[in-house]
Amino acid sequence: MDPFKGQGGIQMLLIAEQEAQHIVSNAKDEAEREATEYRSHIEEEYQKSISENTGSSGSNVKRLEEETNAKIKNLKKSTSKVSSEVVDMLLKYVTNIKT
Amino acid sequence: MNDADVSKQIQQMVQFIRQEAEEKANEISVSAEEEFNIEKLQLVEADKKKIRQEYERKERQVEIRKKIEYSMQLNASRIKVLQAQDDVISSMKEAASKELLNVSHHRHLNLLSHHHHEYRNLLKDLIVQCLLRLKEPSVLLRCRKDDLHLVEHVLDSSAQEYAEKANVDPPEIIVDNQVYLPPGPSHHNSHDLYCSGGVVLASRDGKIVCENTLDARLDVVFRKKLPEIRKQLFGQVVV
Repeated sequence: MDPFKGQGGIQMLLIAEQEAQHIVSNAKDEAEREATEYRSHIEEEYQKSISENTGSSGSNVKRLEEETNAKIKNLKKSTSKVSSEVVDMLLKYVTNIKT
Repeated sequence: MNDADVSKQIQQMVQFIRQEAEEKANEISVSAEEEFNIEKLQLVEADKKKIRQEYERKERQVEIRKKIEYSMQLNASRIKVLQAQDDVISSMKEAASKELLNVSHHRHLNLLSHHHHEYRNLLKDLIVQCLLRLKEPSVLLRCRKDDLHLVEHVLDSSAQEYAEKANVDPPEIIVDNQVYLPPGPSHHNSHDLYCSGGVVLASRDGKIVCENTLDARLDVVFRKKLPEIRKQLFGQVVV
């Protein structure tokens, strides 16, 4: 009887242990790969939201600019109506001398 | 027990050990698979959590940056409106300054015209006001070269009026014939010193000066009346 014939079981266990170690050590690589995929997905979403925000903030700037110009236009329009009164008032005070 | 039985028994034992080994190997494999899944799940979740936190922070920063930018734009917009208001106010002063020239512009007017008469009376009142402020027995007077004849025309009546109001003897008024106040502004030298009219009086030692030019008076009135002007111009404007 071959004395090494019984070694097969031990060999099997050793191989199983090695494979187990290999499987467990693969967990880190697998996790990294999944995390990388997740990161690229999140990055894509992030870039998408940034480009959408840029568009909306651009329109906000334009709207604000239009509002400001409208305010200034109204300001000039409304002040032009009373400007002569203001000038007259100033001249009145300059030329009215209290002695 | 014969050899065959012994061999059979050994064979059974070997078979049993092999089976045990196979089961153990299976257990190791299943356990490894479980450990792999748990380990991987933990690592993935930890990484995902880190990534989520990182991107949440990034998004918060973007949000903050957006708010800061909008706030700056809003501020710039307000400054633009305030600047426009300031420009309007400055234009009022400029317009008044130009109008002052109409008050004193008499070069081409008849000496007896109504306009001329008005400015002459104004000069007289300006001199009297200065005399009342200085309260000096002897004063120096400066005017524009253009106004010299008008000033000389009202000197005595000004001194007399002051004397009556202050209940003193009429003062000595010496007109400076060497140095005159600058002339009114012209298109050619708009950046030069100019004077739209009026007078400057000083005590003989020059320590007390009463500047009563139309421009100086406009400056004073403008500063004093600025809140009123603002209210009149922008009271109805929402900024």
